[in-house]
Amino acid sequence: MKALPDFTRRAFLATATGSSVLLANRLFGAPEDAAAKPNPALEKLAAVALAEARKQGATYCDIRINRYRQQFSGYRLSPQRGSNQTDEVPFVTDQQSFGFGVRVIANGQWGFAASPLVTTDEIARITREAVVVAKANSAVQSSPVELAPTKAYIDRWTSPYEKDPFAVPVDEKLELMHGATLTIKKDPKVFAAFGFLAARAEDKYFASSEGSSIQQYIVQVDPALQATAVDFQKNISRTRSYQVQPLSAGWEAVAKANLAENAPRIRAEVLEHLAAPPVMPGKKDLVLLPSHLYLTIHESIGHSTELDRVLGYEANFAGTSFMTTEKMGKFQVGSELMNIFGDRTNEGGLATVKYDDDGVLTTKFPIIEKGVFKHYQTIRDQAHLIGETESRGCCYADSWASVPFQRMPNVWLAPGPREVTPDDLIAGVDDGILIEGEGSYSIDQQRYNFQFGGDAFWEIKGGKKRGMLSRVAYQSKTTDFWRTLDGIAGASYWQQFGSFFDGKGEPEQINAMSHGCSPSRFRQVNVLLTD
Amino acid sequence: MLTQQEAKNLIDKAIGYSKLPQCQVDVSWSEDAFIRFANNGITTSGYRITQQLSISSVTEDKRGGNAVVSELTDDSIKRGVEQAEALARISKPNPEDMPALGPQKYPVLSNFDSYTGAARGDVMIPHVKAVIDSARQSSLTAAGYIQRSASVAAVGNKAGLFGYHTYTDSSLSNTMRTTGGTSSGWAAQNSVSLKDINGETAGRISAEKCVRGSGARKKLDPGKYTVILEPAAVSDLVGYLGFNFGARDAEQGQSFLSKQGGGTHLGEKMFPEYITLRSDPFNSKFATTPWGPSLLPNERMAWIDKGVVKNFYYDRFWASKAGKDPTPAPDNLVLDGQDNTLEDLIKSTDRGLLITRFWYIRTLQPQTLQVTGLTRDGVFLVENGKVTDPVTNYRWNESPVRVMQNTLKLTQPMRSQGAEAGSSIVPAIVATEFNLASVSDAV
Repeated sequence: MKALPDFTRRAFLATATGSSVLLANRLFGAPEDAAAKPNPALEKLAAVALAEARKQGATYCDIRINRYRQQFSGYRLSPQRGSNQTDEVPFVTDQQSFGFGVRVIANGQWGFAASPLVTTDEIARITREAVVVAKANSAVQSSPVELAPTKAYIDRWTSPYEKDPFAVPVDEKLELMHGATLTIKKDPKVFAAFGFLAARAEDKYFASSEGSSIQQYIVQVDPALQATAVDFQKNISRTRSYQVQPLSAGWEAVAKANLAENAPRIRAEVLEHLAAPPVMPGKKDLVLLPSHLYLTIHESIGHSTELDRVLGYEANFAGTSFMTTEKMGKFQVGSELMNIFGDRTNEGGLATVKYDDDGVLTTKFPIIEKGVFKHYQTIRDQAHLIGETESRGCCYADSWASVPFQRMPNVWLAPGPREVTPDDLIAGVDDGILIEGEGSYSIDQQRYNFQFGGDAFWEIKGGKKRGMLSRVAYQSKTTDFWRTLDGIAGASYWQQFGSFFDGKGEPEQINAMSHGCSPSRFRQVNVLLTD
Repeated sequence: MLTQQEAKNLIDKAIGYSKLPQCQVDVSWSEDAFIRFANNGITTSGYRITQQLSISSVTEDKRGGNAVVSELTDDSIKRGVEQAEALARISKPNPEDMPALGPQKYPVLSNFDSYTGAARGDVMIPHVKAVIDSARQSSLTAAGYIQRSASVAAVGNKAGLFGYHTYTDSSLSNTMRTTGGTSSGWAAQNSVSLKDINGETAGRISAEKCVRGSGARKKLDPGKYTVILEPAAVSDLVGYLGFNFGARDAEQGQSFLSKQGGGTHLGEKMFPEYITLRSDPFNSKFATTPWGPSLLPNERMAWIDKGVVKNFYYDRFWASKAGKDPTPAPDNLVLDGQDNTLEDLIKSTDRGLLITRFWYIRTLQPQTLQVTGLTRDGVFLVENGKVTDPVTNYRWNESPVRVMQNTLKLTQPMRSQGAEAGSSIVPAIVATEFNLASVSDAV
């Protein structure tokens, strides 16, 4: 469906789920001398579920034993009540969540059960519960579950990273964020500064009744800075963020982000944003930078090509899609410059993993080729519904306690010719706007009508970037918009922004994926003046 | 179910391991069962238990650290406390930290239903069947979701505070679509008791909406319209209003309650006198706890009283700076209604649009609370007091503040939930000048 609104993100950060340090540590201890095989202790636990499921008459079973670790740290600098004095408020939280979920097929129907008590007795009990659920539900099934074949894999995989972000001392992290926020707040005209650093690690083990036994470890980091400025006389406020690409990577990605060097820039730009004149609404050309365009790709192309939406499985929540099955292979979504891939193999992507939660080896596949819609995102129990014989590896869940289902891979826009620069794109615009970063974003439940704001807007006049504008949003229809794409910068400008907060499913699950792209130009898009 | 004694033991154990002056322990435990259906059959469903212990430690000089664990063994709890304390020692003093609260007298809430707490597939599946039967009778396709949960919340700290509460909740929502995807209808029910859920009724309402919407849809020009908003739509708008009652944002120029040039709108009559918005944690329709985020006992609080901005949300820190008493968080929201039915609202409207619910709402401007969103699952033209033709969906850019200001009439309130802002008890309303910005082709 969509990235979460701010208040949900705050609630998520304030509560989130938690967990264990001990049994989990034994099961998921750091990969020993790059062992290629999963921990035998995990395999022994999994065998309990697989045997119990067979005993209860299930025709398929998989178990996921997972641990999630998250650490949030940072600073908020904001004025005291009725004074210009600044309160410097640090925060630091460690969260762990550990447990298992069992999925079975019995009487042709899925069943699922999960528990945080990782013991052999509880695994057997929960497996029986999953079979009870499946059998009860089989009374109201539309058709029996059919799984596309997959090979059995025995493997262990770790996402590439250089320096474990959890091993970096917390005081070093706080120092970094304190310094950056102090720099932002140095100008007394800046109202507030916020610095945020998240590190996330996922230990996941998967075993299935088809013979797979897979242990994987994923490490991710996400730093960000934000400045806020307020004009009490005009009763307006503006923000300016330094968005950094959130990546499957280690601390090295935080170091490369150059937070300290970017803090003075956003300090100046938030004040420019506060004073910026409102946009003159109308049809304008847009040059969209990767920190902004990623979300447009996510909402308009990422979600519309999810097969579960197209087939009606999300009709009651996230919605369906305009990209109906008869369009596959022939529908012109956008201009011929548009080449979009679904990919869970690209380095750094937040959805990158070697095997999905169906135990399928992940892959890269074309979603849009020269503007024409080619392929959906699929999982094992959907492939046959569109006449395909294998899954595209897009099955995953946000927790051991959640049912794995079709989620978005990294969905990225291929770069343009090597020689094209962002300045070239701007030079070709007579009256337009350059947009960076996330603002408000909203799209309908079939992914036609969208409206996006941004974090910063610059006027383009006569082929030149001018001063900042304010109160900008653009509104369009997915196909109208992508058909106006007439320029994409080269690969050296390609960046991989993404979201940790994409919601879908009932009960709702929150997952992460990336959307790489280069700066791109769109012609004559409807620009609005917001309040 | 985690008993009071078990919860107390976990908290005491954690506090026993604590060496720093302050330690607060929040326990949450929940068991839920859910069934998801689509294309007139069950798709996924499950049963699960989740639990966690959140430990917050504070040093003498106000350095704070937090750790969350989900394995509740002695060793795991001990490690969690050590982790929270290590983080606290490393962190820097928090100038906004407040002293721990001592023992509190929490109100007793009646929102646990044992039938709901024990319910599994055998009592939920008949509701799913009833929805699917309704769909089949009208040659429609149903998708939906039914769930129930039983939850425990417990809290304790080193200063002697302790609270324990159990509550249940349940819901059924369903969407029906025509085979060609030309129309969509939706209905939902929420209650702390699964006994209040009725698949037949929920299925009938969404089927009627879907069938009514299946004719040629009128594409009216965007612009300002009188709208009749059903409770699910009102619930989202009221939720956005509620999120923005914070005193800090209001005083610091960042909310619709901030005044141009400084100051706030507290005490001003911003809305018609029949608009009263309040928090009521004692309403047994809410699945809520006897305490809020501050750990003070939850209480009733009017935010808008007869059109007047009556109170702001003061957390303990901001209240201490303002010399005020802290207030509960603007949760468990109730918008008072009037003695009208939805039919009365329709009859009173010469020309307007009847809107089922909203979708994907996001803030555009905090000071006006202008938000953008879309209509979904049933928009109908009302002419001369009667529902006439189905209409396309729309994107809208509008402020819940202006909607409340432009409200003419309300029905009796009911517990409802939209797409974005949680559950509240709200009426349907009729409001003028609602800004529809563009057509959405989505069905």
